Amino acid sequence: MRRPRQSLAGDRAAAYLTLSPSVFLMLLLTGVPMVTVILTSLQKVGMGETSGPFVGLLNFRWALSNHAFYSSLGHTFVWVFGSVGLEMLLGLGFSLLLNKKFRFRGVARAVIMAPYLIPSVVAVLVWRYMFHDLVGVINAVLVGTGLVRTPVLWLDSANNAMMSVIIVGVWKFFPFVVIALLGILQSIPREQYEAAQIDGASPFQQFWRITLPHLLPVFLITALVRTIWNFQKFDIIYLMTGGGPLDATTTLPVLIYFKGFTDFQFGRAAAVAILACIVLGLIAAIYLALIKFAEKRL
Amino acid sequence: MAQVEVRNVDKHFGDHTVISNINLKVNDGEFLVLLGPSGCGKSTLLRMIAGLELPTGGDIFIGERQATRLQPKDRNIAMVFQNYALYPHLTAYENIAFPLRVRRAPARDIEEKVKWAADLVALGGKLKRKPRQLSGGERQRIALARSLVRNPEVFLFDEPLSNLDAKLRNASREDLRQFQARLGVTSIYVTHDQVEAMGLGERIAVMEAGVIRQIATPEEIYLHPADTFVAGFMGSPPMNLLKLTDYTLGFRPEEFLPQTSFAPGVETMPFDVKVNRIEFLGGDRLLYGTVGGALPETPVIARLPSSVAWTGTAGESAKFAVARANLRYFAADTGKAIAPVGTKGRVHA
Repeated sequence: MRRPRQSLAGDRAAAYLTLSPSVFLMLLLTGVPMVTVILTSLQKVGMGETSGPFVGLLNFRWALSNHAFYSSLGHTFVWVFGSVGLEMLLGLGFSLLLNKKFRFRGVARAVIMAPYLIPSVVAVLVWRYMFHDLVGVINAVLVGTGLVRTPVLWLDSANNAMMSVIIVGVWKFFPFVVIALLGILQSIPREQYEAAQIDGASPFQQFWRITLPHLLPVFLITALVRTIWNFQKFDIIYLMTGGGPLDATTTLPVLIYFKGFTDFQFGRAAAVAILACIVLGLIAAIYLALIKFAEKRL
Repeated sequence: MAQVEVRNVDKHFGDHTVISNINLKVNDGEFLVLLGPSGCGKSTLLRMIAGLELPTGGDIFIGERQATRLQPKDRNIAMVFQNYALYPHLTAYENIAFPLRVRRAPARDIEEKVKWAADLVALGGKLKRKPRQLSGGERQRIALARSLVRNPEVFLFDEPLSNLDAKLRNASREDLRQFQARLGVTSIYVTHDQVEAMGLGERIAVMEAGVIRQIATPEEIYLHPADTFVAGFMGSPPMNLLKLTDYTLGFRPEEFLPQTSFAPGVETMPFDVKVNRIEFLGGDRLLYGTVGGALPETPVIARLPSSVAWTGTAGESAKFAVARANLRYFAADTGKAIAPVGTKGRVHA
């Protein structure tokens, strides 16, 4: 009895030993920065400093009583739910389309992935050029066909800037949703549709009663992932508009960047980052509850 | 209730011919089995009757109606699939109710019908469960109940028992047969399993390479196979076939017995057999041997009931024979069954 027990303990030790490099690396890469941010948020840290006087929750009080925080939070919600909503809608539509049999389907599937593969900087430069009020192709077409009289200020008007950024974000990331949903669509047994056809279900009923229930869990998980990623999105927004005009596209990540690297108030930047993290956590919790509900139904 | 008629039906997928010129008439209330090896076109034929595939040519009639191009839902048929095609997110109850829900039947009718169908397949107590919480046999019965609730005129079965284990399959086969007999609904059943076909079918259509080789009762097919394919496909082990110069001679392993076991006066055809191997199966023994000599050397199998006394061993030669009445003759070129050839003399071994 003793020998196996011993060897079991030995196995366990070996397991921990072999795991330890990964655990160490994880702690280094996620634990250390997290602790650093929390510590920084409790201090007044200025330009060129890595630490400063302890100020308690003062940075949080500043953030929660500041208009910039709430307006950025509002912009973040518009950006996140605007783009995720459209990405999911387009992703669903195109995945259903690409699941149908037609000629050149393989080519179409490859082409639709292209935006996802283009580097953000390149994509943004091209889109900025297309959005340009004087030389951009979009205005050229709109004015040329007489749809608008004067060029639209896509990026330089506080009313349009967020919409323009969302268009670019959706264009770039909806292929991700297509990939995720197409995988599920292809795994639904053909017989379920055939049985439904024989039973007299219309195409719409087949979609509603077979396709959608199969898709729902992955649809929600994809929406969650896209929400998290868009919540943190910085590059596209900053490169498109720099957060402007008049802060109209300043989302929380952009605000954090400004606080840290324009105003050099690292304590405040860290406090905003932690608040953003909490908000994101709440949103994720809602999603997870939904996913759990959906999976229980399946 | 309805009869089903398939007239001159062809099906090509591109250059590939799956079904060529099939004619088939299934009588009202009959249980017909489509039997054949995989790839013979039996499932494609069933799917064309269901309307899931369109024939390249020919016509399909269900009842009095020309159904060739009708939508599956307008054919008043029900189909049970090999993997049951149940909806995983719906309970057993909702799965059975599905055909009624999509047709917007009144709630009271749905309840009544589902209960009735569930009772018929003895599934009453488990209606609240999801398919994955049920056993293979129970899933199969849900699929059956779902096919019932619309009062179809024709049942189509696509190997519905092949996902069950052997023991359950026997029980389900019995259930299925009784259930069909009680409802009297015309049924077409696809399988590659000849035991299933023999046990279930009032008539069997044996298919090969897109063609029906024989349609007949199980007895007829077993005793009088229409050609060498049917002879070699049916029976386990299948019919022994000896290729002679002018024709092919066939006899069942269980008719191939030691010369001494025949009563005097029975006209037999004797063979010298070299016994290679003996398998003891309990109720009977299988002898694997070779006939040769003047005949082309051919492997043969004899099935000896334990009641037949025979004490030979592997490696020996023995005298075996077949009663002449049990010999079958097939044309050498086409393989089709022909009238007995008058070879009075002994075939020399």
